Amino acid sequence: MIEVKSLTKVFRKPIRGRGVLGMLKTLFSRKYKEIRAVDDVSFDIGEGEIVGYIGSNGAGKSTTIKMMCGILTPTSGKVLVNGREPYVKRKVVAKEIGVVFGQKTQLWWDIPLIESFKVLKEIYQVSEEDYKSRMEFLSSVLGIDEFLTQPVRTLSLGQRMRADLAASMLHNPKILFLDEPTIGMDVLVKEKIRQAIHALNAKYHTTVVLTTHDMVDIENLCSRIIMIEKGKIIYDGPLGDIKHRFGNIKTLTLTIPANINPQEVKPYSEEVDLITEKDKVMLRFDADKVKLEDVVQYAFSNYQAIDMKISDISIEDVVKKILAQQEEEKHAKEI
Amino acid sequence: MLKKYKPFLRASAMDLMAYKFNILIWVIVTIFEVVCLIFLWLAVYSSSEGGMDASINGFTYKEMIAYVVLTTVFGFVTFNNDTMWHINQDIIKGTIGNYVIKPISYRGKFVASNLGSFLMMGLLFGLPLYGISLGVLIGIGFLPIVSVWDFIAHIGLFLVSSVLACLLNDTIAYLFGILCFYTSSAWGLNSLKTTVISFLSGALLPLAFFSPIFRDIVGYMPFAGMSQNPILILMMKYDYWQSLKVILISLAWLIILELFVKLLFSHAIKKVTVQGG
Repeated sequence: MIEVKSLTKVFRKPIRGRGVLGMLKTLFSRKYKEIRAVDDVSFDIGEGEIVGYIGSNGAGKSTTIKMMCGILTPTSGKVLVNGREPYVKRKVVAKEIGVVFGQKTQLWWDIPLIESFKVLKEIYQVSEEDYKSRMEFLSSVLGIDEFLTQPVRTLSLGQRMRADLAASMLHNPKILFLDEPTIGMDVLVKEKIRQAIHALNAKYHTTVVLTTHDMVDIENLCSRIIMIEKGKIIYDGPLGDIKHRFGNIKTLTLTIPANINPQEVKPYSEEVDLITEKDKVMLRFDADKVKLEDVVQYAFSNYQAIDMKISDISIEDVVKKILAQQEEEKHAKEI
Repeated sequence: MLKKYKPFLRASAMDLMAYKFNILIWVIVTIFEVVCLIFLWLAVYSSSEGGMDASINGFTYKEMIAYVVLTTVFGFVTFNNDTMWHINQDIIKGTIGNYVIKPISYRGKFVASNLGSFLMMGLLFGLPLYGISLGVLIGIGFLPIVSVWDFIAHIGLFLVSSVLACLLNDTIAYLFGILCFYTSSAWGLNSLKTTVISFLSGALLPLAFFSPIFRDIVGYMPFAGMSQNPILILMMKYDYWQSLKVILISLAWLIILELFVKLLFSHAIKKVTVQGG
């Protein structure tokens, strides 16, 4: 369905001097800095897969997605979507893909939502029957009925996202690109969007490529993960492997009173990493090996705490861990 | 194929309706401008050597006033596109991506929405404004009275050249808009465009006022067809042959420019670095 072959995108950015003098200098001589946003990336995605394309901020996720849907032209290498290069055959490929950018809406800002859908119906030349049946299905999974007659600018972020998702599915694309579809949503809306993505994938067998920062999104949705860091792929494989490699890592963060020196707190056991900051104590452990209750109990009976928080491992942590592991492997080989 | 551009045509026509108060104020301002211009030309003619009967560069004072009035109405009805502004916004905000990922052409979208606002402006303001000004100008003897058939034929030719003028204007706005991909700022380009068009199209002053060589060169450029030629057709200063000739020149330019912007766009779009991406 999607083939990406040694895809590279280099941006040239002018280096600007600081202050007024620097600005004046750039008028006469411009130096450019080359940024390899995506660097020799290759992968294949098959029909009906839901793939999580993840990485930290600025890792090159959005740039790759933009090349896959034809907005950006690669510096070298190529993308084939259903056998065609999207940035060459824009209009043909556009009919086969749906795109949602979490940060930008594609709906017409001033007109009622339903009118936007009608415009899209004509642009994509969707037949009356298809339009009706898809609208019915989409409103049932996304619940967009309640605000169909409101102008898009009056919708809440969650409503807008659901509307955008419905808009991108109206022409029944074979591939759906979702760039951070759950950004800034509350837990309930996130859940609704996840269910909708599952339902779409099940009903139309749509291939989904999504980027996200939310570990829960990834666990709930993706069967496969491609992880990118500084423009290069650092992991490509099933979700299960990642979980297996990193276990069920949780972090318990305690805020301690100012009069206690965090250096003095006692470690729990060898299996729990203890990280201390100015007024914070963080206990990081594998919840499959050490019981969460035990750690919490221990923490509260041994430390004085004002506040506590339990968090799952973040994408940034996973990226860091993968990079560290790769570094170790490299070292091991050299020795 | 063309059906999918219909929503853009409709939307821009509807937009105009939403801004009818703005347009009304615009009408009033324009009337003031026309009155000023009329007094200016009256002063020019009365102080010229031949007095009020003089013909300056082939224009009597009556024709000059008719030209000023009709040019203003024409500019009002025909030049209301904001293509360049929209392209610039799409580049700055990165919303150009929204169009690139849809199965429509970016150019086609602008043509459709401009034709939409042209039609709406024509119906809403063009009909009454042209009707009143032509009626008054003919009534007070500033424009000649001709046979009904000649009149209808000239109106027909004028409508054709108006549509061409609207499309030419939009194409040039689009061309300048695409140049914003390279400069990433529209301000300078926009003032360049406005100046060039108002000067070379005869909207400021009929091209007959320029030196003969310059006039001939400009006559074969696309600009004259954007304002002066349609007006001179309407004023019946051009016979059928001349009218047909200037219409064909406009059509040829439209095709050439359309092909050129197509090439330019496919080059420019490779330059896109969507903001914030």
